[in-house]
Amino acid sequence: MRKHIAAKNRRHVWEWLIERLTQIAGLLAIVFVLLIFAFLLRDALPVLAQYPLSELLGGTRWSPTAEPEKFGMLPLMLGSLYVTAGALLLAVPLGLACAVFVAEVAPKRVREMLKPAVELLAAIPSVVFGFLGLLLIGPWLADKLDLPIGQFAALGSLILAFMALPTIVSVSEDAIRAVPVALRENSLALGATDWQTICRAVLPAARSGIIAAVMLGLGRAIGETMTVLMVTGNAAVIPRGLLGFLRPVRTMTATIAAEMGETAFRTPHYHALFAVGLILLLITFLTNTIADVVVRRAGRVGS
Amino acid sequence: MDTRRLVLVGFVAILLVSAVLVVGCARRAEMEPGTAVVPPAPVEPPASAETIRQIGSTTVLPIAEAWQKKFSETHPSVKIAVSGGGSGAGIEALISGTCEVASSSREIKDKEREQAAAAGVSPVEHIIAHDGIAVVVHPSNPVSELSIEQLSDMFTGKIRNWKDVGGQSGEIQIISRDSASGTYEAFKELVVTLNKTDKERDYAAEALKQASNQAVLTSVAQTKAAIGYIGLGYLDETVKALRVIPMGGGTAVEVTADAVLDGTYPVSRALYMYTNGEPTGIVKEYLDWGKGPEGQAIVAGLGFVPISK
Repeated sequence: MRKHIAAKNRRHVWEWLIERLTQIAGLLAIVFVLLIFAFLLRDALPVLAQYPLSELLGGTRWSPTAEPEKFGMLPLMLGSLYVTAGALLLAVPLGLACAVFVAEVAPKRVREMLKPAVELLAAIPSVVFGFLGLLLIGPWLADKLDLPIGQFAALGSLILAFMALPTIVSVSEDAIRAVPVALRENSLALGATDWQTICRAVLPAARSGIIAAVMLGLGRAIGETMTVLMVTGNAAVIPRGLLGFLRPVRTMTATIAAEMGETAFRTPHYHALFAVGLILLLITFLTNTIADVVVRRAGRVGS
Repeated sequence: MDTRRLVLVGFVAILLVSAVLVVGCARRAEMEPGTAVVPPAPVEPPASAETIRQIGSTTVLPIAEAWQKKFSETHPSVKIAVSGGGSGAGIEALISGTCEVASSSREIKDKEREQAAAAGVSPVEHIIAHDGIAVVVHPSNPVSELSIEQLSDMFTGKIRNWKDVGGQSGEIQIISRDSASGTYEAFKELVVTLNKTDKERDYAAEALKQASNQAVLTSVAQTKAAIGYIGLGYLDETVKALRVIPMGGGTAVEVTADAVLDGTYPVSRALYMYTNGEPTGIVKEYLDWGKGPEGQAIVAGLGFVPISK
């Protein structure tokens, strides 16, 4: 009897220990995010104090080596916006269609080949994508479309779309497959066709997962550095209209990557790059929060 | 759900086991000092060991690093610590006495000389290499020579079409290095700002920024209306190097090692190392070696122009 209690106690201690350990692991994630935010803020503060926010965020010229130096981030933010928006415009319809095919339409054998193939796309290093874009796709597109130069925003979008595809396909396919079979059967029983079932019953039910997939894809696209650094030309100009997609742009990530390595420690330029990083973090934080809210609301309506 | 919990438990278990192992091992080492867990004390460097600290220009950095590597092979007792930071940072370090050798891609400024004198430091200049910057266009471009003034107008965006400089009509695509590059700074000084006579001038925002000489070369080779600049050592037949007319007119000069060496090619510069007073001892040996045949062979191998043939 006593032995039994001892064993039970031991199990309790064990349970308690595991619980606390997982709790620490969970809290650590929050601590890390807060620390990253704090350090970015600390190193961005000097430049935020020196220049008015309107000049940093609204300035149209980024030329850190000019005299006097100018840290207008508008061209960089718009550059990121163009490249990312373009990537999503390409990747979301394609990814969603691919996910529907894999989850709903494809026979089992095709599905078993297709899904690993799409996921393999995620295993290709970004620098390889960059090389493909810079040396093959860019010059080819420039030649076919009669563009003056083979490095432009839409090329970045195109390649980022391929890179975001595995995330979008994988996550939304899981969401679609998680839709209960009963829902499909009900829809079919009511006389709906396969296509009607997919787009009116299954996809709305999988909505929150699909939104999550798109947001993850967005995160991948906006944070990607190496590829955009290689293929978008990095000219810090403000893109204008639809033609802006066919012109070189410079993204925030590419700016940090290209300039941080050789910037003298603690100069205004150095701090300005941290400010760019801070704004990038705020943007991703904002999109994630919005996504979270949307997903939660969609979940509530769905149920 | 079940697998997820399993993975979690497994992960935590691994963490715990490794923690126990680490603690256990440490304790064992404590208890048995005789066992060979503790590594032997590091070998003291020989008393004759000397250190050369070298700070400065990122353009000179590849030379300094290659020299350090090769020189250390024959002088294993000498420790050379090389770091970048820029020409200004190097000279500052020399003045404050935190380095023995400052590398610089420009001459020391008068202001810096004054600061040095005030600190009791007397910088001595050593030219260790020359560097020519080739202005390159697509091989099909009919333009074959441009003046510094024209180049400045093109790179600042004042001239936007090739027909204004005698080429075929087409929007000029400026291909620049990114601002971290020493070549970017040098080209800005020598060409864009018209040899620093007009400091207001800066690269046009439309200029594409490439991360390396090789990337500029590739882009120019692929783009019909492009103009770019690269270090002489990177020049090859995939692009066409322009002859450059010096400021104020004169004959166009082709970019060659000879033209860089005798100073007739206008987009060229010397690369320097500075020491406090005439170098002595191991620093003198190092610089003499660098200026000698072995060091200069490295200079040539890296695409710079040796100080003499």
